[in-house]
Amino acid sequence: MKYALLIHSDQEAWSDFDDDEKAQLRAEQMPRWMALFEELGKADENVSGYELDEASKAKVVRVRNGERLVTDGPFAETKEVIGGVFLTDLPDLDEAIRLASLIPSAENGSIEIRPIAG
Amino acid sequence: MMALIYGEQGRWDSASAEEREAVYARYRAFADEARGAGVMVGGDELAATRDATTVRVRDGESLVTDGPYAEVKEALGGYFVFEVDTMDQALDFAAKIPGAEHGAIEVRPIYVDPEEGQL
Repeated sequence: MKYALLIHSDQEAWSDFDDDEKAQLRAEQMPRWMALFEELGKADENVSGYELDEASKAKVVRVRNGERLVTDGPFAETKEVIGGVFLTDLPDLDEAIRLASLIPSAENGSIEIRPIAG
Repeated sequence: MMALIYGEQGRWDSASAEEREAVYARYRAFADEARGAGVMVGGDELAATRDATTVRVRDGESLVTDGPYAEVKEALGGYFVFEVDTMDQALDFAAKIPGAEHGAIEVRPIYVDPEEGQL
């Protein structure tokens, strides 16, 4: 079963840090992420993932009556926004839950597990 | 760049088999066009939010709930990943995604660590 693990995290808190602080936090958390990547790789050797850039860099496009409307910022007005995603092929939901709870962001954000259709 | 496709689940639920097939045909045509232009990296359709499970860890304990992160009228229904040079180019492709006509497409750059690269 294919699952998308959607990482919802508080990007406002993240954007308060300056570049040095971000680099330091990344370095601090890196061992846990590396451990996660190893676990994910064991569960699904073809796992892939994307970390999204800050939500402030997002743009939203809509087409209405053939006309394109572009707005700045993310679509969601929630405090937490999608900051990344893992795409996995796993035996069952329990395994997806186990791996989701190993994602460091689960501790201050939320991981939404969505089956991939088709 | 990642293009996140937001739309009304109810609209899809109430569509007939023919209507759904017509939408899928448009998505296939779009994907073919993006592949032809050499910008398509991948994409998936996500199952309905009612099939979602949300996991949080607080004080070392896993909290698992049924349902999506947030109950919203327009939910994330799928995504594409494009390899493009500029936001404008990404927006050009995003505007051609069929879902842009009634929902919304959020375009977000994918973060690439200067040293680590991507997973």
